[in-house]
Amino acid sequence: MDIDDLLAEVAVDSTPQESRDLQELTRAWVAERTAPEILNWPEELMERVLERIRRQIELVEDQTGNMDPKTNFKLIVIQTELERFKFLVRSFLRARLKKIDEHPLHIRAQHTASLDTMQSLLSPSELQYLTSHQALLSQHYSTSFLSQFPASLQRLDDTTGGISMVDKPDEDKAVFVRALRDIGTVFIEGTDRRLEVKRGDVWVVRWSAVRKWAVGSGTGDVELI
Amino acid sequence: MYGETANKLVQNAKRTLALPHLPPYQSELIRSVIREVRDLDKDVASLLAPYSGSFNPASSPETACALLVNHLCMRRNKRCLLAYHKVRSDKLEEYCWNGVDVLEQQAQKANGNSAGEGGAAGAESSLSPEEEEYVRQYSDLLAAYKGQWTDIDLTGSLEPPKDLFIDVRVLKDAGEIQTEYGSITLTKNSQFYVRHGDVERLIQQGYLQRLS
Repeated sequence: MDIDDLLAEVAVDSTPQESRDLQELTRAWVAERTAPEILNWPEELMERVLERIRRQIELVEDQTGNMDPKTNFKLIVIQTELERFKFLVRSFLRARLKKIDEHPLHIRAQHTASLDTMQSLLSPSELQYLTSHQALLSQHYSTSFLSQFPASLQRLDDTTGGISMVDKPDEDKAVFVRALRDIGTVFIEGTDRRLEVKRGDVWVVRWSAVRKWAVGSGTGDVELI
Repeated sequence: MYGETANKLVQNAKRTLALPHLPPYQSELIRSVIREVRDLDKDVASLLAPYSGSFNPASSPETACALLVNHLCMRRNKRCLLAYHKVRSDKLEEYCWNGVDVLEQQAQKANGNSAGEGGAAGAESSLSPEEEEYVRQYSDLLAAYKGQWTDIDLTGSLEPPKDLFIDVRVLKDAGEIQTEYGSITLTKNSQFYVRHGDVERLIQQGYLQRLS
């Protein structure tokens, strides 16, 4: 342990929970927008953030109508902050929904697998959206044409014939990452490349190689940028 | 030739991607693709009939080849149909997210046409009945999902907010709106300095224009 680590620890403890949540939310948002796969649902963080947004809206509603210039100015600051938070959450949710819509069957399978671990992949409402959307789509296909097909060709998740109908995101897509802590040597699967990742380093690597350290999908030792 | 009609569908879907509106549903093409699949399926059944369930590809390679070709064509047709419908339903979902009421637009278009043609019954919606049903159900689903995030307004702008207040010009009369700072009457061609969140919907619906 050297001086940097000590400083880092002190810095984390002295910043209030609110600022850390903002940082975490921003990190989760950036990660979700750049990672090819959908990441774990940050349940506790989202609960805290939503609760705070709700409180701030109440505060704003309470205070409007107050003509005191000082509170008025404070309100404008709060509202600007509120709009930014709402944007972050909205963009975050929409990025997730986009992925859910793109690879619904794959994500459902992943989610079912993640139920055994502590971290679930989707929030309950996202799962509900996925399931109902998928039901809608398959019903749409089937009333439009699939019902008139031979029975052996009516499935939507067929894997026979060498091609799986279930589409997956490209896990080998290159991502930009910054290491928040030393993580040692990273091996790139299928090649003989290995890299030494130190704190503060920025690398362009395959998503599949750093997934287990990334924010949202692993230990959180590297962040996506 | 096998798969040719399906190919036309795919080309149509490809064109749809670049279009701002949805072209008419190709029910004629779709019917003929389905017919082709059914014919192929019958063909497969009649090819297999003499073997009564114990077909060995090695003993009669020519039949095996015909079966394979038929089978691949059916699969290809299925893929093309799926792709065509997926492109269209994606587009419809996009409309739902943007708050465009497709069904109403179609109804208006139909009315407009029939008025123009002296009430002739030639006005057709560019959506199939199944698609109309899909739009209805998807908007319900979207509304239900959005309802859980009332504070956030999921369909709001995806541009990062810069200013709390913005200048807007009124393009169409929108009546009176209530804001936290009192009510504003939006009459055509007037200009206001208002809170972004209050008028975002109206900008999306084309009542207001944002002045930068």
